[in-house]
Amino acid sequence: MRCGAGIEARQVNELAINIDPIQAGGRLTADAMKAIIAYGDGYSVCDNCRKPNRLDYISKPPIAEFHKEVASWLGMDVVRTVPGARRAFQAVARTYVGKADPVLLTSLSHYTEFLAVEESGGVAREIPADPGHIVTADAAAVKAEEVRRDTGKYPVLAIIDQVDYQYGNLHDVRAIAKALHQYDIPVLCNGAYTVGILPVDGKALGVDFIAGSGHKSMAAPAPSGILATTAERAGEVFRTTAITGDVSGRKFGIKEPAMMGCTLMGATLIGMMASFPHVKERVKHFDRELANNQAVLSDLLSIRGTRILSEMPRKHTLTRVDTTASFDTVAQTHKKKGFFLASDLGAKGIAGIIPGATRIWKFNTYGITAAQAQYLATAFTGIAQEYGLAIQ
Amino acid sequence: MSKRAVDTIFSATFILTDLRMILRETAPTHQLDSRQREEAARLLDNLERQVASLKQELLK
Repeated sequence: MRCGAGIEARQVNELAINIDPIQAGGRLTADAMKAIIAYGDGYSVCDNCRKPNRLDYISKPPIAEFHKEVASWLGMDVVRTVPGARRAFQAVARTYVGKADPVLLTSLSHYTEFLAVEESGGVAREIPADPGHIVTADAAAVKAEEVRRDTGKYPVLAIIDQVDYQYGNLHDVRAIAKALHQYDIPVLCNGAYTVGILPVDGKALGVDFIAGSGHKSMAAPAPSGILATTAERAGEVFRTTAITGDVSGRKFGIKEPAMMGCTLMGATLIGMMASFPHVKERVKHFDRELANNQAVLSDLLSIRGTRILSEMPRKHTLTRVDTTASFDTVAQTHKKKGFFLASDLGAKGIAGIIPGATRIWKFNTYGITAAQAQYLATAFTGIAQEYGLAIQ
Repeated sequence: MSKRAVDTIFSATFILTDLRMILRETAPTHQLDSRQREEAARLLDNLERQVASLKQELLK
């Protein structure tokens, strides 16, 4: 079935249980789908834009109210919507990072944090994760001191992933922020895997900024996200334009250069808004998601040789697994080689694992039902049994 | 202008969206439990009414 010339209708979430590690939290709610049907046209949310002509002031649809609600929900003071968490990193880096300024990232940081630092002319300095793949406050303080010794100044910014994309581990952002604030280093919490998934309170974390991803964790279309900050920092990162055209003499009101004016002007924003009531509710029930994840892990771990590389017990549903001593032994002699696993899972209606991966791979059970979790668990052990792998 | 036809189009697509969500929740087997069957039946009845209304409005 096609939905346009050469464009197949995407049906993966209707036909399969999709455990793609980055897609789970971005699946739309029914309300988001309905809102997109109604607001799919280009500048659809701008019909009632009036002075001062800025997206976050529009009251119909209730965009202004949405901004206030998101800020309050996150325990922060001011929010802007952005085209993905990466654009939040970029806006903050452009505000605080100058040429050759050191910026603290971590050895588990997302690549877009590096790009944001690079584009601002800064230098990335990574806080090393410990052997359990956890970034600690002590390591952050040690790195800040090391940077001071090396460069003569402390880092101008730290970007810390609350849950990292590699292991799905939960890092103690509160303790890290407390440690780094002793050196007056502003802290941006990358909540791409947490905002919209589990409760996040910026005040409790004590951070200066929170970046969230609409398409990764807030049941919204891509590219969408949020940047939240404190009243103290808002005037810096959300500074308003001061430029004037030398010929026309034009000025541009209260547009914000770091946001490039208005940000999400149609389906992306309305999708995020429509999902928001459901997202607020679902974060209260993250324990159910962990229970589903645990059900799958129990069966996976029953396959002899399988190891979970993420922290245990799990605090997030994104999980890194090592099946070198289980499924990969099958791949050595299978005619499809490493592709057999994704192929066999696909035949059982399970999608989202990288084709060819039988050693170290990731999956995410977020958003599936308990029945689907059980089906998934049984599918893994069923495939293992089919190839004679021992079940413990 | 047929506001009714436009409303009906949206209603029908929204109902189809709710049915789509049932397919997602029950993938890959699409075996509906009693609650889901009841909900699907209610949605399909409503969809038929919307389609009837559209026929009346657009083909009159």
